Amino acid sequence: MELPFEIGPQFEGERIRKDDMYIELGGPKVKAKAELAKLRKADEIEDGRVEVKGLDIGEMEEGGRYPFGIFVEVAGEKLEEDMEGVVERRIHEYCNFIEGFMHLNQRYDIWCRLSKEAHAKGFNLKYMGQALIKLFKSELPIIEKMQVTFITDEKEVVEFVGNAKKTYEARDARARALSEEEVDEFYACLMCQSFAPTHVCIITPERMSLCGSISWLEGRAATRADPKGTNFPVQKGELLDAIKGEYAGVNEVVAERSDGETERCYLHSMFGYPHTSCGCFESLAFYIPEVDGIGVVHREYPGDTPIGVPFSRLAAQTGGGRQGEGILGMAIEYMRSRKFLQADGGWDRIVWLPKSAKEMVGDAIPEELRERIAMEDDATDIDSLKAFLEKKAHPVVQRWGFEVTEELKNKLIAYIEKREGEIYPEEAAKELGISEDQVMKVIDGLREDGILE
Amino acid sequence: MRILAVSGKGGVGKTMLAALMIRKMVKDGEKNILAIDADPDFNLPGMLGVSVKNTVGDIKEELLTKQSQLPPGYSKDTWLESRVFEIIAETPDFDILVMGRPEGPGCYCSVNNVLRWVIDSMTKSYDHVIIDAEAGLEHISRKTTLGVDDMIIVTDMSQHGFDTAKRINELAGKLGARFKHLYLVANRVNAEHEKAITERVESLGPEFLGMIPYDICIEEYLFAGRSLLDLEECNATKAVEAIMDKLSYYDVPRQPQK
Repeated sequence: MELPFEIGPQFEGERIRKDDMYIELGGPKVKAKAELAKLRKADEIEDGRVEVKGLDIGEMEEGGRYPFGIFVEVAGEKLEEDMEGVVERRIHEYCNFIEGFMHLNQRYDIWCRLSKEAHAKGFNLKYMGQALIKLFKSELPIIEKMQVTFITDEKEVVEFVGNAKKTYEARDARARALSEEEVDEFYACLMCQSFAPTHVCIITPERMSLCGSISWLEGRAATRADPKGTNFPVQKGELLDAIKGEYAGVNEVVAERSDGETERCYLHSMFGYPHTSCGCFESLAFYIPEVDGIGVVHREYPGDTPIGVPFSRLAAQTGGGRQGEGILGMAIEYMRSRKFLQADGGWDRIVWLPKSAKEMVGDAIPEELRERIAMEDDATDIDSLKAFLEKKAHPVVQRWGFEVTEELKNKLIAYIEKREGEIYPEEAAKELGISEDQVMKVIDGLREDGILE
Repeated sequence: MRILAVSGKGGVGKTMLAALMIRKMVKDGEKNILAIDADPDFNLPGMLGVSVKNTVGDIKEELLTKQSQLPPGYSKDTWLESRVFEIIAETPDFDILVMGRPEGPGCYCSVNNVLRWVIDSMTKSYDHVIIDAEAGLEHISRKTTLGVDDMIIVTDMSQHGFDTAKRINELAGKLGARFKHLYLVANRVNAEHEKAITERVESLGPEFLGMIPYDICIEEYLFAGRSLLDLEECNATKAVEAIMDKLSYYDVPRQPQK
């Protein structure tokens, strides 16, 4: 079939201005629009078939805006269901290979324009379908059969969008469930090396880039689009520590790309050999030794943390590609990861979080912990944090491993009586077989009981 | 496609020159024009009588706040490209894109990376791209300016305007900025200073394109906030037209005829 337009990558990025536009399909001013790719069995589709449900271009009015659906169905022995998304993304690319046709965005947000010139030359959707089939099959030989349906009838498009959304949701659910164990490669990002020359960001399905901008899927897409760019694949290699998240392949890449500065990298711990921090992390986790717990603060929170310093001061301690034990830059999204600081106790160890951050990730916090993690209104310093955690029986309290028992109180009263009302903490600690810090706690307990003043 | 940028000290008349250049192109029947206002305090749309609702800065903020809510299979790059297309104001004669407010806290590396690509590839659809650059030197030292063909430095009569022009010239040389040509234009010049200005520009470096005289017509339009596209022929517009002729701007690699 002779097509009335040319095809090729030279037309990519072609913007059709309003004045040159014949019609608009989908777009910000049209509600019903979507595109979808579906994998079919070989006998379910007819290769080369193009169908138009509703008006074709010739029947549309110049300057009009129309609902639009693009439905691509493919079959091929080697095609797998998780490739539907990859095929679907190519719709954007190949539509833009067509002279006089502009395609923007994706899924339920597609926006297309056809130029007056293309219309004058006799463009219609039947031809366009043929062009797409030709492009898909030549660029992706794994596709053996393909049919395309364009939908412009409003009612049909609405129905199509409804069905497409179910597919997107299922696909997203699969992507969210993706684990480090299931994939062979992670992705590295060196975008921040311009100001943090030894920083290597390792992006896994369960650990986003620290800036919160690049997920594993995006890392993969970026790597494919530009293999020589700042994103590249990292072969996981041998799993050295499943809890801390240490992989031989990751260590190798980190050592090489940090110029030997960082030799090991734990993906899911802030102690030992934590991931380095760039400078633009969305949030950071900081260890609070007094409560043996971890606080998290994000960039948007301007106030002080319970340890008396704000985000900016903490950020200055860890940024620049440094590996700092007990302080770790991270994406806010990382708090949603199943492996969130898993080697350090995960959510069980988080003791403080600004209210606005808690709202952002609230659904990821285990139900039983939600009320036990302090916010800025609950704790402003170490003492009030301790008191809050104790009152709420936060899991870290068990780590403190010390309870002011009646037995200890009685022993201390006996000691005080022996000393005729005086307390020498060092001596008392020896007498009771506990630490001085703990003696102070027993004293606090007696004060609360009203026995001591 | 040819990219022309206007830079210089704040307040010397960069935006006015950009607007008058667009006026000249429109008058000559040019169609494929993209104006980019890269000054955070964007006045180019106003001088061209266009109202602009959203800026690239707004889109960046939007992306930073909602990026974690986008579904995993939804591409940010494609979304960003579409949003940029959406905020371009389209008039019958030219399109205009406003870069808008400066960045807030947070990491813009990734979004800027994509934006550079989006804007770079988008400009290819036009015959003429005119950038009204931010005042001062930052856009040059950070190399945020696109691959510019002609960089026009504007100065007024003040020594400080010339000092800035000199610094831009030096910085561009040192950093190997991506300009093919560097030019100088003196704006708001009084007749009695013309000779002295001619002498002053000689040693400066960039090729001198000409002077725009102080013109009360322009001042009246600016005072009233009217579009400079409606301006009648006057001394300033004539001077800008002479400057454009020197640039021989019709000599551009064009889009295929529509």
